Amino acid sequence: MRSLFPILVFSLVLPAAAATIDVRVTDARGVPIRDAVVYAVPEGRTPPAARKTAIMDQKNRMFIPHVLPIQTGTSVRFPNSDDIRHHVYSFSPAKPFQLPLYKGTPANPIVFDRAGVVTLGCNIHDQMSAYIVIVDTPFFEKTGPAGSATLKDVDAGRYSVHLWYPDMRDEPVPETVNVAAGERIAVSFGSGHGRP
Amino acid sequence: MAVRSFQARLLSLLIAVLVLLDAGTLVSVYLAGQRTLRRTVAEELRVGARVLNRILDTRAHQLAESTAVTALDFPFRDAVASADMATVTSVLQNHGRRVKTDAVLLINLNGIVTTDTLNGRLTGKPFPFPALLHDAEDRGEGAAGTVSFLGRPYQFVIVPVRGPQPIAWVGAGFEIDDAVLQDVERLTSLDVSLPRPNAAQLMMNDPDYASLPQHLQTRDGSRVEVLLRRSLAEARKPFVTLQLQIVALSSLILLAAVFAAVIFARSVSRPLQVLAEGAGRIGRGDYVEPIVIEQQDEIGQLAVAFNQMQSAIAAREDQIKHQSTHDALTGLPNRTLFFDRVTQSIAVSKRTGGSVGMIMMDVDRFKEINDTLGHHFGDQLLIEIGRRLEHTSRASDTVARLGGDEFAIKFTVPSVERAMELAERVGTAFDAPFVLGDVAIDVDASLGIALYPAHADDADTLMKRADIAMYEAKKSLSGVAMYEAGRDEHSLRRLSLMMELKQAILRDELELHFQPKIDVRSEHVVHVEALVRWKHAVHGIMRPDEFIPLAEQSGNIGLITKWVLRKAIAQCAAWNGMGLHLTVAVNLSALDLFDSELPTFISGLLSEARLPPTRLVLEITESAVMEDTAYALKILSDLKSRGIGLAIDDFGTGYSSLGHLKRLPVDELKIDKSFVLNLTESSTDDLMIVRSTIELGHNMGLVVIAEGVETQESWGILKRLGCDMAQGYFMSPPLPAAKLQEWFVTSKWGSAA
Repeated sequence: MRSLFPILVFSLVLPAAAATIDVRVTDARGVPIRDAVVYAVPEGRTPPAARKTAIMDQKNRMFIPHVLPIQTGTSVRFPNSDDIRHHVYSFSPAKPFQLPLYKGTPANPIVFDRAGVVTLGCNIHDQMSAYIVIVDTPFFEKTGPAGSATLKDVDAGRYSVHLWYPDMRDEPVPETVNVAAGERIAVSFGSGHGRP
Repeated sequence: MAVRSFQARLLSLLIAVLVLLDAGTLVSVYLAGQRTLRRTVAEELRVGARVLNRILDTRAHQLAESTAVTALDFPFRDAVASADMATVTSVLQNHGRRVKTDAVLLINLNGIVTTDTLNGRLTGKPFPFPALLHDAEDRGEGAAGTVSFLGRPYQFVIVPVRGPQPIAWVGAGFEIDDAVLQDVERLTSLDVSLPRPNAAQLMMNDPDYASLPQHLQTRDGSRVEVLLRRSLAEARKPFVTLQLQIVALSSLILLAAVFAAVIFARSVSRPLQVLAEGAGRIGRGDYVEPIVIEQQDEIGQLAVAFNQMQSAIAAREDQIKHQSTHDALTGLPNRTLFFDRVTQSIAVSKRTGGSVGMIMMDVDRFKEINDTLGHHFGDQLLIEIGRRLEHTSRASDTVARLGGDEFAIKFTVPSVERAMELAERVGTAFDAPFVLGDVAIDVDASLGIALYPAHADDADTLMKRADIAMYEAKKSLSGVAMYEAGRDEHSLRRLSLMMELKQAILRDELELHFQPKIDVRSEHVVHVEALVRWKHAVHGIMRPDEFIPLAEQSGNIGLITKWVLRKAIAQCAAWNGMGLHLTVAVNLSALDLFDSELPTFISGLLSEARLPPTRLVLEITESAVMEDTAYALKILSDLKSRGIGLAIDDFGTGYSSLGHLKRLPVDELKIDKSFVLNLTESSTDDLMIVRSTIELGHNMGLVVIAEGVETQESWGILKRLGCDMAQGYFMSPPLPAAKLQEWFVTSKWGSAA
């Protein structure tokens, strides 16, 4: 059981055309969490769906990357860089699918058009798993080794800043921020979420 | 009897030891068995408990595996992910049939049962074992545990349905039924049951079983107890078998040991019996047959020792026998053996005819040789005599030493003449002087011969008669004498007299008589000759010629001579005191001339009696003087120098030469009475001898005395021939002192003084 002590750190940023949000993620003991997806969802509007493409590779019987954040509408290719076959599937409601036993890159990418987390597995290799995090915003990023991520070129406005990472027990309450143009603010998640 | 008891003792001891050993073994085996039984049963129960747990674990694992296989099935996962409950339920039912259970559930991530194979009994309700679910959630994979489900003990497994993260859980319950317990029973030979709580206590108290209640760990806090029991009768079976085997084996060993003991006891007692028989043979004097025992052990050594003892005893007995039959000094047969040989020879002669001769021999004057030259010399002399006797006798003869200086020879001869020849040849053994060390000595011996059957019918008599003959030889100085019939009586008397004589001297049974010697010219008594008489209680008054030789032989002559001297001098002194001035004559034995103390003794007596030595004349026979001239001459000279008168007695019987006679320091010459007794004018021989002797004596300056004067005629002749003194019954017989005193007064010859 961990007590919840949300700490918000605000900092002044140089005036610019776009705002910048620095996010830092630690656990309750202050240990940085990497590969956590942070994203800012604008309030009151929905950004247009992306027409981008992302890659979820399979190499050495691992999905690479382990966590892949994408904007809703993004097409994801699943090349198989191993010389063995894989059977990629998802039972996630955001996008159930399966790519039965294949080698190389399937012809058609899969389009993820609903926000949510899709858990990927391989029906042949039980230990393989990966996550595709589909968000309704173009402002998202993964934390680095120091548990920090920077959302750049954020339009001025009001946002709720979300956090997700694998095995997260409770999704924390999003931080609501207002950023002016050229402003740089910082958001920190130190508690309110947990790992098993 | 003793042998049997030895065997019996050995056997009973052995059996007792073995029975004790067996009993001890059985008791210890029984006790160890009990201990081991308890330990074994306890261990079996503990193992049973482990086996039970292991079987349950394995079963849970297998169930989890098989359930996981179902949960991993892609279409099933697809159905779960797409909430296709009808399909899911059918898959679960299918799985239930496959693994033989009717309790398969699907649980969502919130712990709610979403479908089941129990006709929806649990659907929509929370999973009844949340702890199990938490285990699975915590581990992210399967979990298993024992629970009570529907009132029965169940093993429940939970496995995740992966997508690939858990998207739901499949639960499956498997009753712990009799089949499971029977598995344990098959593996452990235990009795395994799931009793009701009240029955459990009852079963645990059953004395025929050892029990171990095993509480299974449950994940729902319920109490599940499995009772493990071991039948004690079953567990004891191998121990009972072992005990029976030991009893059987012990009995076999006991039998074998008894058999071995009997053989061993026999192997000991047999040789012991042989030894006992051997010892018995030795005891009976059988020294020939040895004890034969083949064994090399202690008994064998004992047998060897017995045999050594046997030969040692035989050797010692031979030695003892030899000692008992032989003389230690000379090694010759002794009297016993000699007597046996004589007896044997007589027995042989009785059958074959022929004579058995016996020579008895003794060494003349051996006592003096012994006294003078020492016992060692005497012994050496006896050895040498024995040697010479053996040398001179024939191989078939037996030479024996009978004791002292007495030897004997047994021989066989065809005739008396041959016997005499043989004896004379034996006598030649003494011809050469005996040279021992630096002393050379002439030794003579007297030999007496007796013959079977001429003189005796048996050995005893033969020996006696040879003895008598020997005394004859000694007495007659002839050296050798043959037994003559009728001498026995005389001989026996002599022997007894010899023994009695010494007593007689001590008891004063001797008496002194005196016979006057008459001076022929004055016809008056001048000398008296002291003559000893023995008043024998049986034989009456005995004359000297009857017992003096005995005294000489028995070594008592010195005593008699001294007794006579003392009495004669005392009497002479007494008469002297009465005014009768007589000279007393005393006879000396030849042996007296070996007594160097004699002159001193006589001087002592004379001075004690205050009598001048000239009043004593000592008469010595001619033969005595001739025997050992040098020594006798020394004594005689000593006596002469003391003023004592000396006379030669019995002159004319010996063989003394005139030259020899001339050297003798004598004063008087006594003509032997054999020449005087029949002296008549017509007996020309005697007359001539007497006349010659008187002339000879006078020519040598000696006083001549004639004894045996019994007639007027002889008296007259002697007077005419100029004899100096005469003695005989014509004047007076020998008289006791008192009678002689009367004679002095009454006789015409008596007025001497």
